[in-house]
Formats: sequence, C-alpha cells, structure tokens
Amino acid sequence: MTSTLQRTPRAAITRTAADNRRRKAFAPYMLLIPAIGILLFGLGYPVLWQIVTSFQKYGAMQQLGGQAPPFVGLDNYIAVATDPEFWGVAVRSIVFCVVTAAITLVIGMLLALLMTVIGKASRLTLQIGLLLAWAMPVVAATTVWIWLFDRRRGAVNYLLDMIPGVDMNRFDWLGTPTTFFIVASVIIIWMSVPFVAFSAYAALTQVSEEVLEAASLDGAAGWQRFRSIIFPTIRPVIAIVLLLQLIWDLRVFTQITILQDAGSRSADFDLLGTYIYKSGVAGLDFGQGSAMALFVLALTIALSWFYIRSLLKEDKQS
Amino acid sequence: MMKSKLGALALITASAIALAGCSSGAAGSDAVSGFDAAGAKGQDITFWVMGGDTPQELRDYLISEYKAATGGTLTIEEQSWGDALTKLTNQLPDAKNTPDVTEIGNTWSPTFTNAGSFTDLSPIYDDLGGDKLLKSFVEVGEVDGKQYALPYYFGSRYITYRKDIWDAAGLTVPTTLDEFNQDVATLKSSTQSGFYIGGEDWRNGVSWVFANGGELATKDGDTWKSSLSDAKTVKGLQQFQELFADASNAPVTEKDSTPWVNINNDRDGAAPEAATIIAPGWAHWSIGDFTGDKVDDAGQVVLDAGGAPVETRTWNDATFGVFPLPGNDGKPAPVFAGGSNIAISKTSTKQAGAKELLRIVFSTEYQQMLGKNGLGPANTDEVSSLGDDQFATALIDSALHSKLTPAAPGWAAVEGKSYLEEFFGKVAAGGDIPELAKEYDAKIDKIING
Repeated sequence: MTSTLQRTPRAAITRTAADNRRRKAFAPYMLLIPAIGILLFGLGYPVLWQIVTSFQKYGAMQQLGGQAPPFVGLDNYIAVATDPEFWGVAVRSIVFCVVTAAITLVIGMLLALLMTVIGKASRLTLQIGLLLAWAMPVVAATTVWIWLFDRRRGAVNYLLDMIPGVDMNRFDWLGTPTTFFIVASVIIIWMSVPFVAFSAYAALTQVSEEVLEAASLDGAAGWQRFRSIIFPTIRPVIAIVLLLQLIWDLRVFTQITILQDAGSRSADFDLLGTYIYKSGVAGLDFGQGSAMALFVLALTIALSWFYIRSLLKEDKQS
Repeated sequence: MMKSKLGALALITASAIALAGCSSGAAGSDAVSGFDAAGAKGQDITFWVMGGDTPQELRDYLISEYKAATGGTLTIEEQSWGDALTKLTNQLPDAKNTPDVTEIGNTWSPTFTNAGSFTDLSPIYDDLGGDKLLKSFVEVGEVDGKQYALPYYFGSRYITYRKDIWDAAGLTVPTTLDEFNQDVATLKSSTQSGFYIGGEDWRNGVSWVFANGGELATKDGDTWKSSLSDAKTVKGLQQFQELFADASNAPVTEKDSTPWVNINNDRDGAAPEAATIIAPGWAHWSIGDFTGDKVDDAGQVVLDAGGAPVETRTWNDATFGVFPLPGNDGKPAPVFAGGSNIAISKTSTKQAGAKELLRIVFSTEYQQMLGKNGLGPANTDEVSSLGDDQFATALIDSALHSKLTPAAPGWAAVEGKSYLEEFFGKVAAGGDIPELAKEYDAKIDKIING
C-alpha cells in the first residue's frame, strides 16, 4: 500500500506486465486465508484429536478416571477392520446412500422439469409445498412419518389395507431391516428432494431458449433436446448436487436414531452414523469410535475426489 | 489399584481438590473427609436429576432446606434418561461443567465408580444411614469396600392384569411362574396379548432368567464373565422364548416402552391390547378408566411430547388388579430393580455443599417424602411410608426379591452398545439359544471388564 503511494504517477502508468502478474498471483491467496482460518479453527482441533485418539486406548477409565490414554498403535484400526459387523454396516450404509441419493436426484430433476412447463400459479403452489417440506425441522418431520407408518394406527397401513386382497393390518414397517430402511429412505428422500428440485430448476433457467428453438426447428425431439442440450448445460449443477446428496446420505444420523427409538436399536438397523455413536460414545470406546469415524472421512474424500477432479477438469476447459 | 487411580486424578485436579479440602487416599482428618458445615456456607451447587421421577414437591423441599442449611442456592437440573449417559461422560471430568451432585441410573454406577468419577462417601456413610440403606444399591456403588454412590430411591416391577378378562376365562391369580406362563398363553388371541412383552425388552424378560437361577454375568476373582451360556440362564431364556411366542403379540423389536397403554381400554372404550403387563410401580397412575383429557390450571388441554392430549386415567378395582410375578419356589420371582443411585462428582469444587445436600436427602423427612410419592426410600427403615395399599404391597414384595445388573466396570458400555436388546430380540424371534448365547457371551466378555 505504502509503496503504491510513494510511486510517482508516471511509474504507475509504466508498471511492467511482470509486476501485474505477481500482484494477481498474490491476491487470491490472501482472499483464501479467512476461509482456511475458519476451517482450521472449527475443524482442525476435533480432527486432530480424533486422529490422535484413534491410535489410543481411550475408554471409560480415560474419559472419566483421568488416566493417561496409552498409545496402542494400529490396534483400533485392526479391531475395526476385522469386525464383520462393522463391514456389514459400512456396505449397508453405502448401498443406502447411493440408492437414496439416486432416487432423490431423479425425483428432484423430474419436479424441476415439471416446473418449467406448468403455469405460474401451479408452479408457485408446487414451490411453496417443496419449501415447506425443506423447512420442516428434521425431528418434527421424522416423528410425523413415524406416525404415518405406525403399526396399529398409521395412515399408511390403513390405506394399503383398503386395497382389495392386500392385508397390511398391523404390518410392522420398523420390524425388519429391509422395511425399516425403506421407511428411512422415504423420509430422507422427502426431505432432500426440494433442494435438488430448486437447484435443478435454477440451472434449467440458464438453458438458452434460442438454442432449444433452433434445435426443435432442426427436428430434435424432446428426449434428444434433453440429452444433447439441456443436460449438458445443467450437468455441473447436477454433479455437485449429487455429490452433496451422497455425502449427506452417508452420514445420516438423526432420522435413523429417531426411527430406532420407535423400532429396534439392534445393530441390524444401524448405519455408519448410529453405529459409530453406539460403539464410540454410548459404548465408551472412543478410540475405536475415532478409527471408524476416520474411515468414514476417508470414504467421503474418496467419493468426493472423483467429482472434484471432474469439476476441476471442466473448469480448465471453460 | 483404586488408590493409584485416585492418586493420578488428584494430581490432575489438585487445585480443585485442595479447594474442597478433600484428600484422596491419605488418612486425612474427619473434618476434611467428612461433613464440613462451615465450608458449605454460601456454596451454590447443582444437582442433576434424571427424568421426571423426582416430583416437584420434593425438589422444592430440597431447595429450601439447602438454603436454610447453607445459605447457598441449589439448582436442580433435569436430564433426560436418553442423553444422561453421554452428558455424564462428558461433563463429570470437567470441573467447570460438572454437576456437584448427580442422580445416576443404578446400572451405570459401576462404570463411573470404578473409573473414579465420584467422591469417596465412606466417611459419611454411617451418618447417612449406613447399614440401613438398601443393600443391593449400596453394593453396586462400592469399590474395594468404599462407597462412592449411594441409593437414591428404588422402584420395582410387578404384574398388572385385567381382572375382567382373567375372570371371564375362569383364571385366578397364579401362584407359580409355570402357572403364570400357562395362564397368559391361554389368554392370547389374534387381537389380544395374554401377556404383552416386547422381544427386545430385556429389562423385563430377564426376570425369567433370574427366576430359574440364571445370571447375566458372574464374577470370578477380579474378572467378570458373561454367563448367558450357563445352563440355568439358557433355561430361563427358553421360557422367555416360549412365553413370547405363546402369549405376546408385541413386535420382536419392541423395547421397554410404555406397556400401560396396552392394558387400558382406549378412550372410546375399545378392548385393550393386552390382558396382562409387567410395569414399574408408578405405572398405576396411568392405568384405569378414561376420565377425560388432562387440563392445566388455565383450562388448556395438556399435551405430551408427541403432541397428543394427556389422558386422565382412574384406577378401577373391578377391572384391574396387581400381583408380584410369582416364582416357582413360593416366593416372588426376582425382578430387575429399577431406581437410582446418588453421588458427588469428584471434580466438583464444592464438596462441602454437596455433602450437606446428601445430609438433607438422607434425612428421615425426605426419605418419607420419597415413600409417600411412591418411590422406594433408600433407608429401609422408612419403607412403611410407601403405605399399605395393593400397589405398595406389590412394590415392596417384588422389591425385596429384586436384583440388579452386574456391578462390572464395563456394564454401562454393554448397555450403551444395546447388546442385550439385540440378544433378547434374537431369542424372541425364535433363534437358536445356545448358539446366540455363545456369540453374545463373546461380545460382552470383550467389554464387560472396562
């Protein structure tokens, strides 16, 4: 700053191109500092603690008794890696998150496309409905869903039972893992669709009308227009939305916990979030809990890596 | 071992302990390790109670008595049972956030006492009632003969049944467990459970294990071992499996929830879900004929946590009755004792004030107040304050034969991991008992010793 002031106007005008480049390279890094600072401040300590703890025996005696936690090397990781139950939960979580995210995306996209073709009044009604679902607090929404699926007095069983030949009286949705996760998936999809629909709709408004018109003049049918024009335009948005959905659905916790309170807390009904909480916090084994949590972190990074790389590539091309 | 643990802790929290004048391990004069009325003057302390079991009247009494005794303020904070284990784990070690005195679920006590979370109460144990305090609850809070957690109140479980339904089937109150199992099986239909018990409800289901002489875990020297594979335990589990199949319509996944809703007619008078339930003593306040929705002083309908109106129920002797679950030896079957312990946080800087609060809690007057509110008093001399009606009789009879979960250091972790819910659920679902018992013995053995 001071150097600029000391410069004579003439020198400022004859600033070299190299000087310019150096300034340009310096400024972005300065702008990154606050963001990185906040990240380090908020996440740095917990992650560091978690990494350290994952190499320690850290149980009730250490947490409550003030004993110094002994380092045990890779013991926690080995215990986790050789536990078939953990792998069962991990695989189940991945399947659950992929299926749930995919269905969310498809329904969200369809709703977004619907919004582009319907009248203003119906679009507003739809948007308000979606917004309400999006704004509903998780605990309240999950509780209402549990009532709907209630074994004895739930509306779902009542309605299904009215179909001739279908006996759903007192069907216990939360009684078996499969139906339990179907209910969980329905709840999460219901809560996440609005975000996908709005993001996709926003992206769709960027699709050029002229290009679409030209394409239809050239004889492109609906599907062809979608595949060759609309989808490529909105692809970056869809990619990032899918990534976010995958990450959110992988670490889903609240909905599963509330469903478990209404149903079973046994490990067959666990996803990674609840399983780690149960082993690490409730089961008073913070060391193993940390090791599992770091596994999920690695999984999330691996999952994101593919997308971030393709996003970066696209960035370079444009 | 305990001593060295406490020694290490003393180093870490040296300043806090010095302030409170509490020496660890060392002989210490009575003035320091016992009561310290002078030191308690003006100390503001916090007491955590678990759930709504301690009625408001009793809370008010504690606050005003504490004020009178020390001039300080007692703040009572209610923790929900669901979060309590995590909150205690996180906040007890932290002198700045710890409650000074806390109620604690009796089954969690061993984990905390063994870890050294609580103050040694042996110097004041005799003043607080000594041998007169409920023995099983004292033992669950002991480490190496020293008391770290004392009984707060006890509850018990007994059977509530529909007299009308039992009478109509020509059945009378059973005198043995075998008879009970048969009776409730005959009462089952597709719309009515003879005996409503959830598959994962191990806290009630364990009575069948106890009644057959089985145990969840046994102590051999210094180490605890899960004993699900023990022949007597297996026999009890087989009975539970048959009982669940023959008498209950409850889902396998149902836990210890709100069984009393199943024995009431619904608000429109429709038939009950169950002819028989087992429930904690205080459940009788929620059982009876529907007599309207509960309204508060302003005339507003009171809603429960789920947003439904709270129903008022009036007990009706013609329809409902109670009896302790019978055993096969002429005595009531051992049930799992409900209730809580009470302890002082080791990291609290206000040990003197905390001890004064304990003095009030264990006073005759407060003990009798507990009894009058249907909570079993810690001091067995005051049990008569529970009264002599049918509920008090069933409570006392069943409590006298009640048992606690193993006093193992890792027991809180066993419960935290929901191993017993899983195990009982799989048994109820018709699983192979010896095989499951072996599997869960191995799982529990890994963590039961802390």
